[in-house]
Amino acid sequence: MKLRSLYIFHLDTGACNGCEIELFDVLTPYYDAERLGVRLAASPRHAHAMAVTGPLTRQTYYAAKEAIKAMPPKPRIIVAIGTCACSGGIFYNGYPIYRRPESPREGQEYPRRGGIFELVQDLRDEGEYVGPVVYIPGCPPRPEEILYGVALALGLVEKRAKGEHYTEEAGFELPEYPIEERIRLSLRERLKYVVGYFDREGILRDFMELAGKAESVEELHRLIEDYCLRNPDSRISLAMRVLEREFLRLKEKYGWEVGMNAKAPQGEVRGVQVAVKRDAGSR
Amino acid sequence: MAVTLKYPFVKLEAPPEYRGIPHIEPRLCIGCGACVNACPADALLKIDDHSTGTRKIVLDVGRCIRCARCDEACPTGAIRMTRNFEVATLDRSDHVEVVELRLHRCPNCGNYTDYTERALEKAFQILPEGLFDKEELRKKAILCRNCRRKLTVDDTIEASREVVG
Ligand code: SF4
Ligand code: SF4
Ligand code: SF4
Repeated sequence: MKLRSLYIFHLDTGACNGCEIELFDVLTPYYDAERLGVRLAASPRHAHAMAVTGPLTRQTYYAAKEAIKAMPPKPRIIVAIGTCACSGGIFYNGYPIYRRPESPREGQEYPRRGGIFELVQDLRDEGEYVGPVVYIPGCPPRPEEILYGVALALGLVEKRAKGEHYTEEAGFELPEYPIEERIRLSLRERLKYVVGYFDREGILRDFMELAGKAESVEELHRLIEDYCLRNPDSRISLAMRVLEREFLRLKEKYGWEVGMNAKAPQGEVRGVQVAVKRDAGSR
Repeated sequence: MAVTLKYPFVKLEAPPEYRGIPHIEPRLCIGCGACVNACPADALLKIDDHSTGTRKIVLDVGRCIRCARCDEACPTGAIRMTRNFEVATLDRSDHVEVVELRLHRCPNCGNYTDYTERALEKAFQILPEGLFDKEELRKKAILCRNCRRKLTVDDTIEASREVVG
């Protein structure tokens, strides 16, 4: 059956409210789900589809079951909004979450069990008809993702997600970097405390480029100062300076002779080193 | 003025900082399992099969809360957050990404070890130059835990015999 319009009843099965906020966004004039024929219904008895949010707690289990049973016998589409409804999400192994006996909390099965799937399976076992389930993962999914999911249920867009199974055939690469891998990993770890995951790789790449270019510690220091002057973002300047100190500290520790680019400090650059030692102790 | 988004009928890019679903690049993944330990939602699994000698790293984006902790933990940068958000589907198996790697096999006893061949290569890459005799190390490091222990004990007994006798 091709649906032209979808009356949706919204059911919260213990969500943290993140998904609700996004769901309400979808109904604002900016995203305007009504142009796809989507309307919120006031009662499950009027609804084609049930928009479910939340990980299905034990408390909501029976109410949710009654609500789905109250829907007209067809099409009974379930739209699982959010990672919680798809598979339990971050609450997957919480004590108040409903799980069927055959879906253990600590399983190794995949796709991962949990969420509204448990209730749908229970209903199907009881002989109730439940239509297709549209899974929209995200924590919370952005309004566009919900729109996409609803459009998918209406057959307006193509499905893009596809499972993958890679094996050794995909090939193997072990990239080489301008500085030793051991030091690169340590720097990367140190950088975790200064910047988030988003900027980290870029900053580290820039630093390694400078460290690979520099012939001596003084030159490295000069290059980094140049870089910081060119870069107005103070977070990145800070991260670069932290990296420089950490790099010098590690070089001092592991020895300057082993596979390095920047040469050991000669004579009077010990100022940097003293600062390094103090910084290392304070962390 | 029309303010309404044209979205699903036009293409739309998420902003650069947007955390979409993560993706594992199979050419870079060494199967170390660091991401599995970091994942708070158990969206990542490490499944070893010692009879066939394979390790599966499984990512289920339908369980993923997009916290980027796996991105932070991965030593090779194999798992990265993408900006892809169009992942709604009617079939949950579309959400699963599996990377299947070979486990390392002990050349002495033929049993599979707890790490992959790729992880061993990575470990050799991390070793600092000049501190160890790499060839000697390689001879021992490729053995499984039991064979290595046996070799160490045998070597020690051998050496002590020489000293005593
Ligand atoms: S998926 Fe995330 S945002 Fe949505 S209800 Fe669950 S925890 Fe909250
Ligand atoms: S942390 Fe990275 S390299 Fe290790 S198993 Fe996960 S994706 Fe693969
Ligand atoms: S982003 Fe977070 S929840 Fe998703 S796979 Fe990575 S660690 Fe797990």
